[in-house]
Amino acid sequence: MVATLDRRAPAPVRTRRRSPMRRRQARTAFAFLAPALVFFALLFFYPLANEFVTSLFAGARADEFVGLGNYTRAFGDAQIRHAFAVTLQYGLGALVLSIVLGLVLAVILNQNLRGRAVFRGILLVPYLTSVAIVGLLWRNILDPQVGVLNRVLAAAGLPQQQWLTDHPLATLIGITVWQQTGYVTVLFLAGLQGIPHLYYEAAAVDGASVWRRFRHVTLPLLAPTTLFVSIIGVISSLQEFALPYLVTGGGPAGATDLFVFRVYQTSFAFRDFGYASALSYLLLIVILVLSVVQLKVGQRHAT
Amino acid sequence: MDTTLSRRGLLRAGATAAVAAPLLAACSRTPAADTGGGDKTFTLYWNAGHGYDAYAKVVRKFEADHKITVNWQKFQWPDLQTKLTADIQAGTVPDLVEDDGSGWPVTYATSGDALALDDFIAADGEKVGFPHDWQDNALRNVQYRGKTYGVPLHLTCNLLFYNKKMFADAGLKAAPSTWDEFLSAARKLTHGQQHGVALNSDFGYSSPWILQNGVKYWDPSAKQVLTPADRAAEALGFQHDLIHRYKVSPVPVASSDYEGPEKLFVANRVAMMLSGPWDFAPIKQAAPKLDLGLALPLSHTARATSFAGSGVFIPAKAKHPDLAWDLITRLTALDVELAATAETGMTMPRKSWAANATVKADPLVGAVARALAYGQSWPNGIAATGKATEVSDAWKTAYESTILSNGSAAQAVTTFRSTAAKLVGG
Amino acid sequence: MRRDSLFPGARFVGYAVVVVCCALTVIPLLYMVSLSLQSDAEVFAGNPVLWPAHLRVDNFAVLFSRVPFGRFFVNSLVMAGLVTVAHLVLDPIAGYAFAKFSFPFRRTLFVVVLSTLMIPFFVRMIPVYVVFSQLGWLNTYQGLVVPFLCDAYGIFLMRQFLSALPDELIDAGRADGAGELRIFLRIVLPQAKPALAVLALFTFVFQWNNFLWPLLATTTTDMRTMPVGLTLFNQEYFTQWNLTAAGSVVLFVPTAVLFFFTQRYLVRGVALTGLK
Repeated sequence: MVATLDRRAPAPVRTRRRSPMRRRQARTAFAFLAPALVFFALLFFYPLANEFVTSLFAGARADEFVGLGNYTRAFGDAQIRHAFAVTLQYGLGALVLSIVLGLVLAVILNQNLRGRAVFRGILLVPYLTSVAIVGLLWRNILDPQVGVLNRVLAAAGLPQQQWLTDHPLATLIGITVWQQTGYVTVLFLAGLQGIPHLYYEAAAVDGASVWRRFRHVTLPLLAPTTLFVSIIGVISSLQEFALPYLVTGGGPAGATDLFVFRVYQTSFAFRDFGYASALSYLLLIVILVLSVVQLKVGQRHAT
Repeated sequence: MDTTLSRRGLLRAGATAAVAAPLLAACSRTPAADTGGGDKTFTLYWNAGHGYDAYAKVVRKFEADHKITVNWQKFQWPDLQTKLTADIQAGTVPDLVEDDGSGWPVTYATSGDALALDDFIAADGEKVGFPHDWQDNALRNVQYRGKTYGVPLHLTCNLLFYNKKMFADAGLKAAPSTWDEFLSAARKLTHGQQHGVALNSDFGYSSPWILQNGVKYWDPSAKQVLTPADRAAEALGFQHDLIHRYKVSPVPVASSDYEGPEKLFVANRVAMMLSGPWDFAPIKQAAPKLDLGLALPLSHTARATSFAGSGVFIPAKAKHPDLAWDLITRLTALDVELAATAETGMTMPRKSWAANATVKADPLVGAVARALAYGQSWPNGIAATGKATEVSDAWKTAYESTILSNGSAAQAVTTFRSTAAKLVGG
Repeated sequence: MRRDSLFPGARFVGYAVVVVCCALTVIPLLYMVSLSLQSDAEVFAGNPVLWPAHLRVDNFAVLFSRVPFGRFFVNSLVMAGLVTVAHLVLDPIAGYAFAKFSFPFRRTLFVVVLSTLMIPFFVRMIPVYVVFSQLGWLNTYQGLVVPFLCDAYGIFLMRQFLSALPDELIDAGRADGAGELRIFLRIVLPQAKPALAVLALFTFVFQWNNFLWPLLATTTTDMRTMPVGLTLFNQEYFTQWNLTAAGSVVLFVPTAVLFFFTQRYLVRGVALTGLK
């Protein structure tokens, strides 16, 4: 993302290095950036450093120095490995489904469809709804005994389902896709509208079919959007916490034990602060690595 | 139409009154007041469902007597725990905290974050009746290394709830008393959309079954959980079979709450459930006409149930520990207990409460009071290991893998015991 | 010969797909509205109803009479409003610096800013809580607002958007002798309206729905925000679903209003951010 978009960097200032003009520019830029940088230093990097120090200690008061012990402990912890695997499945499932669905909807809505602004608006509403509401609402709807969905299925003569018992993780993925697809659609719509008509016309002149135009014009030109969506998607789904907290309590038997929910438990229920900090750091590293990998892959495809 | 208008009126009145106030308040606030721990403020953390009028009255009197303002904050249990954890980290703690009865006082005592009450008890324990007027088993969860860190506030237990009309319809004369009678009744009561019983998604509800089979959750001397293991597996397996083999209970849904059976019970979808006095008020509200029957906890090798309820403790760094103790004695006085019972049907830990004539005569409260006689402490002091929550989390997984996900009970018990052994040794 | 669709009737199928997806999106939310208007008897009955027999608007009156929701509402409004204003100032000015200025470590600093996206709120929550507690900032509006004054996402959005702005516009301002801040305020910002609208919408909505921090950072009832206040309703052992749903509807109203006014900028605001 960074590198790709850096091609849109400011026009190079064609002056000697260290020219007064350049120095003035730099001064202005730093003045403009100062509030944000101070903010990030105090409210992101200071806490981050603080957490790193905590991660080197053990005990409910985090006062027993164990060096990197909490980190090595995490690698041998079956429950953590399980939570991590569950989180990857959740993240990947939610990401792929919402990208596919979002892309399809965006392509359809990008045509001159009657009432498309209304459709777009409706699709985005769940994204703007508090996840606390979303969680409680779906828990109510999906209840196998007294939930409205099974009642509707029964009325339609369809078999009753035990969503949260038989397919707990898939159900959480479904709720996430329900909530996020509208946003992904809007991002793709924006991407589609950024593709100049010229390209399509050229392709049409060449006699390319609709599918070929989509495959060879739309998709490649949407690559940066897809990259952006997937990076943002991975970051947010690996940090998901509210759904297990509100809907399943991590169960049944750990089936929806997402990583950050496990960190929350470690910190607030077990009061194992050092370990929780180490787990947070490991997650941070995983997100960082995944983002860099996505960027590298994305760049190779873009060129 | 006029309801719409009144709602709009409400909104408008609320908005205008509220717009200016918080802005002014925030501007004028001094740092001392911010921490909530100023000399004139006493901070009390409480469960959101326990803000009874009986307690509100005590708090008002306490405020007047000590010329202090009580900042009474009410939370759901998980939120209360989150908040308290952050407070302890920051060193600005509330003066008195209600705990969920799972052993927080001891857990916090192991890290030096709870205050030992022994000096207070030595001074006026005799006068207020603590601990000798408290039911003995209820105190196991507040003691650590010979010191007392908490005072039980409510004492409840699981017992059998049944729908008398459904029983009559099925030709059942009496409530079941043993596991065998229970199973046969549940089978008779299961037909169509109706189930005989609803087991809970919350693993805490399995404890009576385990105790009824003569199993201890925690054996402090052997440092082992669920002993003897084969009997534990049998008890867990019986619950599993009720759902997955005999199909007399719906499969509980993994959830962050434990309202599932209660919802089905008030909707006349199940005839029995195992619950406690906390469900009296919801049942009365949701189904005032339901003819509720209560029976003693079941018996298999023994008649038993697990104590539940809540307590209070004082954080080690509380600014007003003396006042906190004074408030404890006021909140747990017999007349306050009786008032809270009359108001809500909640049951209490004093022996003199259980001996009270009004309590005994009440069909619901009296039934719980009788059931309490079979109560045992489920944690049985496991909090002293400092690993109670981790062990309990592993037990949750074991329960859910059997009951919710239809796994093997024996396997779950074995896995749980080895996980627990890693956590607490033994 | 140019064909306009993938297969005959594709347009109709596409329309159907959109309609179905919209229905699946909106029906659960309508059900929430339905719940908010149901009587106690209807929510507690074992058989859920799709729509109440009588619309019980009283649920909303009950809501406002039981807890000081008016006060919670204002607290939420103040918190989300202040954070939004801060973002509308701090994000564009930082994004502008990254987009249109050349200075040492520009790329490094940009990566550093973006890296904050990867830090879960969770990680910084307790350290920030401890510091704020020492500063005496708990239970104040600054305590609620300061942890969220600006964020990397907003800066990124604004940088992308402003990169597309022609340099000539800025140079013309400089040639007229305008100061840099004046150029930013008078020339750059007015061009960024669609992106600012999007930024305002998302910032406000996320703050409005924020739960964990307001729960920790407020210590008295009169400072609570809407989502924290709503949990008061989920009583200890049972849920009055109709009232919870009514609270959710009330919680959603300001979001809906803001969405209504900003949605026309939505696609343009994102489209021009250079994600192409």
